[in-house]
Amino acid sequence: MTDMSDLKSENQWMSEERKALLGKRHRTERRFKMLGLGAIFIALAMLVTLFVNITSKGYSAFVQTRFEMNVTFDETVIYPNGDRSAQAIRGASYGNLIRNTLRAEFPDVEKRRDLRSLFGIVSKGASRQLRKIVMEKPSIIGTTTAIWLIASDDMDMFNKGYIPRNVVEADRRVKDKEIKWFDHLDAKGSVQKVFNWDFFSSGDSREPEIAGIWGAMVGSFYTLLITFAISFPIGVMSAIYLEEFAPKNRFTDIIEVNINNLAAVPSIVFGLLGMGLFLNLAHLPRSASLVGGITLALMTLPIIIISARASIRAVPDSIRQAALGLGASRQQTAFHHVLPLSMPGILTGTIIGLSQALGETAPLLMIGMVAFIVDIPGNITDPATVLPVQIFLWADSPERAFVEKTSGAILVLLSFLVFMNALAVLLRRKFERRW
Amino acid sequence: MIKKTLGLAVIATVALAGQAVARDQIRIVGSSTVFPFATTVAETFGSKGAFKTPVVESTGSGGGLKLFCAGIGEGHPDVTNASRRIKKTEVEKCAKAGITEITEVKVGFDGIVLANSKATAPVKLTKQQIFMALAKQVPVNGKLVANPYKTWKDVDASLPNTKIEVLGPPPTSGTRDAFVELAMEGGAKKFPSLKALRKSDKKAFKVIAHTVREDGAYIEAGENDNLIVQKLTANKNAVGIFGFSFLDQNADRIQGGIIGGVKPTFENISAGDYGISRSLYFYVKNAHVGKVPGLKEYLAEFTSEDAFGEFGYLTEKGLIPLSEEERALVRSRASTLSKLNLM
Amino acid sequence: MSFTPLIILLLAICTFGYWYGSKKALTLVPEQGRVDRGQPRQFGTFVVIWAAVPPVFLFALWSVFSIMSGEYKNKVFNQIDQIILPVLLILSTVLGCYVAINKIKTGLRVRKTLEFVIFAFLILASTVSVFTTIGIVFSLLFETLNFFEKVPVFDFVLGLNWSPQTALREDQVGSSGAFGAIPLFAGTMLITLIAMLVAVPLGLFSAIYMTEYASKTFRAIVKPILEILAGIPTVVYGFFAALTVGVFFRDVGSSIGLDVVSESALAAGVVMGMMIIPFISSLSDDVITAVPQSLRDGSYALGATKSETVLKVILPAALPGIVGAVLLAVSRAIGETMIVVMAAGFAANLTANPLEAVTTVTVQIVGLLVGDQEFDSAKTLAAFALALVLFLITLGLNVIALIVVRKYREKYD
Repeated sequence: MTDMSDLKSENQWMSEERKALLGKRHRTERRFKMLGLGAIFIALAMLVTLFVNITSKGYSAFVQTRFEMNVTFDETVIYPNGDRSAQAIRGASYGNLIRNTLRAEFPDVEKRRDLRSLFGIVSKGASRQLRKIVMEKPSIIGTTTAIWLIASDDMDMFNKGYIPRNVVEADRRVKDKEIKWFDHLDAKGSVQKVFNWDFFSSGDSREPEIAGIWGAMVGSFYTLLITFAISFPIGVMSAIYLEEFAPKNRFTDIIEVNINNLAAVPSIVFGLLGMGLFLNLAHLPRSASLVGGITLALMTLPIIIISARASIRAVPDSIRQAALGLGASRQQTAFHHVLPLSMPGILTGTIIGLSQALGETAPLLMIGMVAFIVDIPGNITDPATVLPVQIFLWADSPERAFVEKTSGAILVLLSFLVFMNALAVLLRRKFERRW
Repeated sequence: MIKKTLGLAVIATVALAGQAVARDQIRIVGSSTVFPFATTVAETFGSKGAFKTPVVESTGSGGGLKLFCAGIGEGHPDVTNASRRIKKTEVEKCAKAGITEITEVKVGFDGIVLANSKATAPVKLTKQQIFMALAKQVPVNGKLVANPYKTWKDVDASLPNTKIEVLGPPPTSGTRDAFVELAMEGGAKKFPSLKALRKSDKKAFKVIAHTVREDGAYIEAGENDNLIVQKLTANKNAVGIFGFSFLDQNADRIQGGIIGGVKPTFENISAGDYGISRSLYFYVKNAHVGKVPGLKEYLAEFTSEDAFGEFGYLTEKGLIPLSEEERALVRSRASTLSKLNLM
Repeated sequence: MSFTPLIILLLAICTFGYWYGSKKALTLVPEQGRVDRGQPRQFGTFVVIWAAVPPVFLFALWSVFSIMSGEYKNKVFNQIDQIILPVLLILSTVLGCYVAINKIKTGLRVRKTLEFVIFAFLILASTVSVFTTIGIVFSLLFETLNFFEKVPVFDFVLGLNWSPQTALREDQVGSSGAFGAIPLFAGTMLITLIAMLVAVPLGLFSAIYMTEYASKTFRAIVKPILEILAGIPTVVYGFFAALTVGVFFRDVGSSIGLDVVSESALAAGVVMGMMIIPFISSLSDDVITAVPQSLRDGSYALGATKSETVLKVILPAALPGIVGAVLLAVSRAIGETMIVVMAAGFAANLTANPLEAVTTVTVQIVGLLVGDQEFDSAKTLAAFALALVLFLITLGLNVIALIVVRKYREKYD
């Protein structure tokens, strides 16, 4: 009989050395696991920091400060020469009306410098407000009505708390006098924060308080429309060809290599292509959504092709064999049987590709969508800008209020992207078939 | 099938029709200094509803004039802004491209300030010191050498001991042109050797006076003056060169430097006491008036009292207005599209 | 004749052809023994194809010709454009209709014609990508060659001085026009390095945790959230970097006595790293999951802990894939534009100090081209030369990544 005690002593598994080593290995194991978890948390923390930062800067962009003032729609100001045409209403100096209103509200302001500051507490957009009101309802001329005028960007920032009171006056954008006038209005209850519909309905402006993203959104819409219209048919057709019909020869290889390469080319190179080809050679209109759309279509094409190929490949061969067996031609098989079954996957890939195109900025800078454009584009050849470019332009502006607007625009852009990605995920989940 | 062909046809049509259809929006390029004013006028003009809002791009005075003088037609800009007067060579270039009638509109004054962050002491310089700090070649002991000064203290013992770091405009900018002509040339003239050179060989003198150093002390900060303002607040030792309007609009963060003992204020610049001030202009192609709708009305808007008058909305943006008589003269000239005649 | 009436007329003729063709098809005597006789609408489409292709073809030919010659002022040209061309187009449509309708007889293989046309479209669509690449290479190469006529290649590739803002007019004095690109490459490399230092550890460890340690629900929740990092537009990252991260680093730096500018390479690099984390984590995730369970089981059977298995068995097996992922991420970082335009500097600075401001290739491309559109100054052409270098480098990295993955991939079965 073997001596068990001998075996035990030979057996080194549970010696003190081994136990210590085992403990060390377990500790290393735990540390390693913590490292992994830590990495994930750091990444998530960065994401959360980004969101919190932008949201904190931007949520106030959705409200607008307004002052309630009694505006006298003085006939002599609106019709200075007695000319009562619609033209005169349009061209009248509403700035004068506002100045009169302010002087009436604060009659003790005398000096020229002070007057300039006083006139500055109301936005430039206020005169446009008045013009719109008068043009819609000319009967208001001659009356004195209380109107909620848009406050200037400095007053807006002050009301929202971005400009502190307790700083030395020279370092503050809003002077003591202006604060006094603000407090006077506030005490009367004439200061209010309303939802900033202007942000969603007006185009770009020099005045941050009336600047809006509607022009950029329409521009983005047209651009994405063109991108979709060009890249989707071409992409799907290329994918069908490559998956269903292409013979395995050099030509096909070249096409495949090309598509993979294009997917990795930096976006700015596409911008240069757009500039060189579409602007200089084909003389297409500068800053138009058409050119932007074509450039982005070229960029999105590889993504759509790759994802379409993947979904077409996922359709099992039995479907194809069955169709061919029933006498369908290869094209009929591809278009009537395979394509409809792979459509959900293709759509998902397209939505993801389009959402990437929505966020692109660099190529559009090259083709000129970087000018100051106020009007909302009416068609695809009008000068336009897109939302990311608008964010870029506003990020460069010095007025403090533009920081808020930029963050607000970013929030709008991000919500669109989240929506599109959620749509893609939903589509995928709903139509996913387990073969 | 039909739809696809139709779609292609539409796209091709629209693509080429874009060239054939007349442009109905005014296109403006040019100076980044005049950009805030031009965009404000453009927006106000457009908001009146009669015409589309002009599209304004900031390319720099030089870049703008280059685009302007490239030709007549829809593909070329109608108006170019400039923070300096058009040069004879540019007028000739325009004439060569068929642009013989240009209307010049002077819109106001502007001072070029050397600003820094309010967190430190304001800059106090003379034109001579500016030249010594920024030129590529400076006279040392009568001889021209590559600029050896690394800190402000090297230039003059009374100045602080900080690295020379100046953010300024590139050669496309009119501000650059005006700066080298007014400040650097003014400083170079103070050296007797260079003063003599100016008398004998003006061209060589200009090369010395206008060439800015490239060893990193002068950083070309692009056409975007707003960006320079942001960088100044971030970097306390840097000094920025840009127009007075940017100083005025950001007075809570930056302060203007005192040049030759004169502070850059509204009053000093409009009185002409501040040493580095210049006029702002924009130029219109008479050939485009009538072809592009609203051009004449845009001129009227810019030259109206509401805009560039003493209490106008441009003045609030930092533009220093012309005297009342000069304004009236400019207004009448603009309304009659009087042709520019550079002597 | 202007476009819209012309298009409407052509469409009207095509529609008429379609209708007539399908009507005629119904009168055909069916062929004996053929199953596939063709539906009336296919005959209609047949006519439309014959009617529509000639004018589209002619029009495309004419457009290309007019773009190439660019002679809009020539009177003869205008006459052809306005009068002869529309007439030709209408004639060709009518002719096409006529020929097609005559062809409609018993025994006509309509489907073959239709499928041929569709096949042609398919091939055409597939070649768009090839044409795009050709377009990119051609436009970049052409301008780059122009550039190298003005500035010698060695000056560009090996020069240490980058100051491209040359004078605009003869009587203006600008910069010396030095086009040495080394500071730009150095700046790009510095920021990319910082980005990789942030992204690779975070991405790799995240992937390891999620594949080896995480529960199914954890993975299902956290993976999509990390993917969000990839979906955020780069302009948002740029804004974040310029406004928050740069200022933060500057403040932290000044509080411990370091001189950090607000547009340091560090700020831009860290934010870029943030953007790249999902690239590395999801690609590594895929590669690590592909390692078969049998290898893991074998390692556990020998008594290894999970971390030892990962470090000694899985990572070496997955290494080619991970290296490929890193290379792809590097190429993404090098080509990134918006983050650096907004957060990095504009002045060329040859330094290895991440606390200073550097500029990259992409920033200079944007800076040189936004505003000035003239195509014969060395300044504008330099941008194209830079873009070509960028294109070649990113392409090269992708090819290397592909080769590395293919060559060193473990064959498991």
